[in-house]
Amino acid sequence: MKRRVVLVDDHDLFLAGVRAELGDRVDVVGQAGTVAAAVALIKELDPDVVLLDVHLPDGSGDAIINQVAPERPGVRFLALSVSDAAEDVIAVIRAGARGYVTKTISGEELAAAIEQVANGDAVFSPRLAGFVLDAFRAGDRVGGDAELDELTPREREVLQLIARGYMYKEIAARLHLSVKTVESHVSNVLRKLQLSTRHELARWATEHRLI
Amino acid sequence: MPLPTFAPSSDERVIAGVCAGIAQTLAVDPTLVRLVFALLALAGGAGIILYLALWAYSRKMSVWVAAVLALVAGSLLLGALGLSDRSVLGIALIAAGLALAWRRGGSFRPDAPLSYGGVALAAVGAVVLLSGGGTSSAVLAPGAVAGALLLIAGPLVWRLALDRDAERTARIRSDERSDVAARVHDSVLQTLALIQRHANEPRRVASLARRQERELRGWLYADQPIGDESASLVAALSAAAGDVEDLHGVRVEIASAGDCPVDGPVGAVVLAAREAMTNAAKFAGVEEIDVYVEVTDEEVSVFVRDRGSGFDRSAVPADRRGLVESIEGRLERAGGRAAVVTTPGGGTEVELHVKRSAS
Repeated sequence: MKRRVVLVDDHDLFLAGVRAELGDRVDVVGQAGTVAAAVALIKELDPDVVLLDVHLPDGSGDAIINQVAPERPGVRFLALSVSDAAEDVIAVIRAGARGYVTKTISGEELAAAIEQVANGDAVFSPRLAGFVLDAFRAGDRVGGDAELDELTPREREVLQLIARGYMYKEIAARLHLSVKTVESHVSNVLRKLQLSTRHELARWATEHRLI
Repeated sequence: MPLPTFAPSSDERVIAGVCAGIAQTLAVDPTLVRLVFALLALAGGAGIILYLALWAYSRKMSVWVAAVLALVAGSLLLGALGLSDRSVLGIALIAAGLALAWRRGGSFRPDAPLSYGGVALAAVGAVVLLSGGGTSSAVLAPGAVAGALLLIAGPLVWRLALDRDAERTARIRSDERSDVAARVHDSVLQTLALIQRHANEPRRVASLARRQERELRGWLYADQPIGDESASLVAALSAAAGDVEDLHGVRVEIASAGDCPVDGPVGAVVLAAREAMTNAAKFAGVEEIDVYVEVTDEEVSVFVRDRGSGFDRSAVPADRRGLVESIEGRLERAGGRAAVVTTPGGGTEVELHVKRSAS
């Protein structure tokens, strides 16, 4: 069954491009260009996946997630952006997005990413992996749960390989793991990213008024 | 003129919340405001009338009701201070005249019509005041006239100061705008022109677009002056990647964790990474190259990876110096190490590591 997808982006040209690239690989059921319109639309349509721009004219992507998620826990969010600023991306992920891909992604890769997100897996682009490694690398903790505030050596290894451009399958082969295990490592990292009280993450989140 | 407004406070009110509302607006203790009103109330009940006036004003009732009440309050106050009725009447008339003039914006905007009614009223007040005779007005008259002048000139000066501030803000904004315009012109518009000229060469168009994107990104997000590649490792690698993209029509994706200045050994890493990207672009037969930079406290690592054809190292002719000299030799001389992992058909990854100089 094709995934029902809502696109949220304020650039019409880009929206048209994504629609064309995705073709009939997914079922694009709606699109919106503002936070307010997107919130109403997503609540109404209850899609499988929302492709979300990080910046919108009346707010940022994480505002949509915060408003929709309590009522529609089944909807998954995938951030799709040209934004290079680590804190913006981290803010959307912390709000609950299941991944981040850049707008230069090909239609085929995007469709695969949508499928992964719909299945509850996390989608990390190399760039996001770099951001996350950076955020977890140094700096002081602000108390809280140590387990959530550090990456395990294995998780670090997996993230590093993602940053180096390896796909899950390649990572699995290289580390002698199953693809499922690699996926669960990435999901764990995502969970830590969302729940961690680490100083850097907390600061980014505070700046974006998530806490 | 826009009058300052306040809302009566419903949380902390004692009577109608006027004192608390004023205190909130002025950010002072409500008790202080209440004390002032209590003292004024002793002055012939002026405080009570003034309270009513402000209450009417805050309730968005007619401004005239509030104004008249305020005038009455002022008159009571002056009366309580021991002024003759005549002086009080004169001052009240002047105040009313000034208020009327201000309402019309007379002394605030040079282009606003002067309120003749207001001026006439103030003049009548001055006449009443000055012709009043008696000791009290003799002392009071010069002071009242000076006060009136101050009331007319004060707002004008205030307005001029505001105008100057606004002008400065506008100038800063227009400076910013011309900076952005210059930037957009120098880079984005030029690139768009090039793209139009090369519209039938998709590779060139893509590489132009990507180069422009990289440049714009560097400016928007990283605050890097374009062209200043010595400042940071990531910036230097991005520039190298841009050159490789331009020359060979590939895409180079850069991910990074951490950054550092480019000094001796790190410079060697940049050059070696550039060579590795060039090799991948030339020989791997792929469209995309992944580069990952990691900077820790001890070490700088760069990974250059492609999913291309790979190669058999033993089959590379000995006179091909690229790998041995430009990558491995260079890193060794910088006190680092390079590793090349490749299999025919399985892609290639070049790893570069150097210790960070103790600083």
